[in-house]
Amino acid sequence: MSHLELKNVSKSFGPVGVLHHVDIEVKDREFVVFVGPSGCGKSTLLRIIAGLEKATSGDVVLDGEVVNHLAAADRGLAMVFQSYALYPHMSVRQNLSFGLENTKTPRDKIEARVTEIARMLRIEELLERKPRQLSGGQRQRVAIGRAMVRRPGVFLLDEPLSNLDAELRVTMRAELAALHKRLDATMIYVTHDQTEAMTLADRIVVLRDGRVEQIGTPLELYNRPANRFVAGFIGAPHMNFLEGRFAGGEAGAARIELDGGHMLSLHIPARPKGEPITIGVRPHHIETQGGQARIPATVTLVEALGPETIIHAEAEGQPRIVAALAGQRGITSGDTVSLALDERFLHAFDADGRRVAEGEVAEEM
Amino acid sequence: MYANSSRYVGLLFMTPALLFVAVFVLYPLGQLVYTSTTDASLLGGGEFVGLENYAKAFSDKGFWRSLWFTVSYTLYITPVLMGLGFLAALLTTENTRLKQFTRGAIFLPVVIGLATSSFIWLWLFDQQVGLFNRLLVDIGILDKPLVWFRKAELGQLAVIISVTWKIVGFGMILMVAGIQSIGDDLIEAAMIDGASYWQRVRRIILPLAARSILLATLISAIGSMLAFDQFYIMTGGAPRGQTFTSVYWIYQNSFVYFKLGYGSALSLILMVIIMAGAAVQIALTSRKGSS
Repeated sequence: MSHLELKNVSKSFGPVGVLHHVDIEVKDREFVVFVGPSGCGKSTLLRIIAGLEKATSGDVVLDGEVVNHLAAADRGLAMVFQSYALYPHMSVRQNLSFGLENTKTPRDKIEARVTEIARMLRIEELLERKPRQLSGGQRQRVAIGRAMVRRPGVFLLDEPLSNLDAELRVTMRAELAALHKRLDATMIYVTHDQTEAMTLADRIVVLRDGRVEQIGTPLELYNRPANRFVAGFIGAPHMNFLEGRFAGGEAGAARIELDGGHMLSLHIPARPKGEPITIGVRPHHIETQGGQARIPATVTLVEALGPETIIHAEAEGQPRIVAALAGQRGITSGDTVSLALDERFLHAFDADGRRVAEGEVAEEM
Repeated sequence: MYANSSRYVGLLFMTPALLFVAVFVLYPLGQLVYTSTTDASLLGGGEFVGLENYAKAFSDKGFWRSLWFTVSYTLYITPVLMGLGFLAALLTTENTRLKQFTRGAIFLPVVIGLATSSFIWLWLFDQQVGLFNRLLVDIGILDKPLVWFRKAELGQLAVIISVTWKIVGFGMILMVAGIQSIGDDLIEAAMIDGASYWQRVRRIILPLAARSILLATLISAIGSMLAFDQFYIMTGGAPRGQTFTSVYWIYQNSFVYFKLGYGSALSLILMVIIMAGAAVQIALTSRKGSS
């Protein structure tokens, strides 16, 4: 059992507040990812959970017990550091057994446990090597092994894949997901990479400037982002934001004029004429064929990836629009295309960036 | 053509340094070697006598006694300096204001001249007016003020106390640099691994700061083997020449007994002994570093 709660946690470094009234609950055996841009406070939050940093106010509750006063070692947690933090003067075997030696575990038990972990992570042949003799991926495995050795209730992982090359990152991501299933342990994972968050998490916590922007499953965040920040952060390529204003309409069917003159009709409550609104549309929800294609745009860049084609286009009055088109298209830079927004998947955000509603959109000319 | 001219340009850049080394190191060293083979007096002259001075040195009880005294002084003071330096480094490694101030305070005596600090301590140890004696009496360690320089052992202890005060900050600074170069994440990983403070010191900090500690030890030990000022000022070799260090003995022969040739030979012998000791220590350091 490892159930973790953060209750109204705030943290300041001198006059600088880095976390503000954070409330998060992590259920037993859940894989929760803290995601956000650099400086959003996600690593600080992880360090507070680990006991390496003290919260300025609020409580860290582990299995119903407030552990604010407990030292890192006494919380029964393990952590994998971004830099791996393997002890450079110790062999892999010594790195793995260090945590058990500190707790005066009998030698034969340590040996058995280290062997078991090494077999599980396929690092048996590396046991006598020093960390500097290992590749990035091998170091990563040892770091995870060191965390596993004490059978912690909660694993804390601080951007563990960020030092690996792209290919290895994908492999390790899959291994981590498999490991989570096998260990059946609670994992809290920090990353700035939304793809890692989407692929690994049971639930994602999106943080910005020390505040929780939204908590939800990956698809909840993707389908119903609570605000413009989450909408822009989750999903790759990023969501397009088209600026416009309310142009009348009635309750439940607002008319919106996009900058550049295009009219849309959205099933959201109408607001005073002239009030600004942002329409969000994901690149995968834009097409150039069929549908009610209406926004003419000039293609400025084409990225032919094989299974899909990403185009960057400019439309009058709008910033760059990115569309991800299925398959291979005969579009080249400089072409004029008509962009059709998939009416089922539009998002609307008010001037403060808060979600208004998504609705069916019918375009008017 | 280009390679040739760039080689000359390189040589040109190196000339000042080479000249400096030649004039201030190589020439005096050569002169020392030459003088050691003569019976030169401080007043001039000197006939070539071959290795006679070296032969004489081997049967010079005064020299060997002073060398043994210097070695014992080094063996006593080096662990004290390194131990206290490491302790001070541990306590002041973090960069908080208080710790930076403490570091500064401990390091401050390092920049005072050794002669100056020796005079200060000579007064502090004084039987009549010495504050150190007074302190020891007041806190009950002594019944009455001690005459520190009447016995060789006490004199040596007094010098060790004064030099520790003066030098401990130097080792501390080297070790602070060594400890600070250990990543915070390693210490934090050890904390999460359940290591107590002393387990972290013993199993993480000490091995990872070993190079800095060995470097500090080497510099400190060489300095102690060359001790002169502190004994010249504080003990004057008393009682009965028992606190003559090697350099002090060389000074006595060269500048008090005017036997410059003999003093030169003793200097060279001491140099070889120190170099041998340093070589052993460097060999240990590099073996440790490569393991």
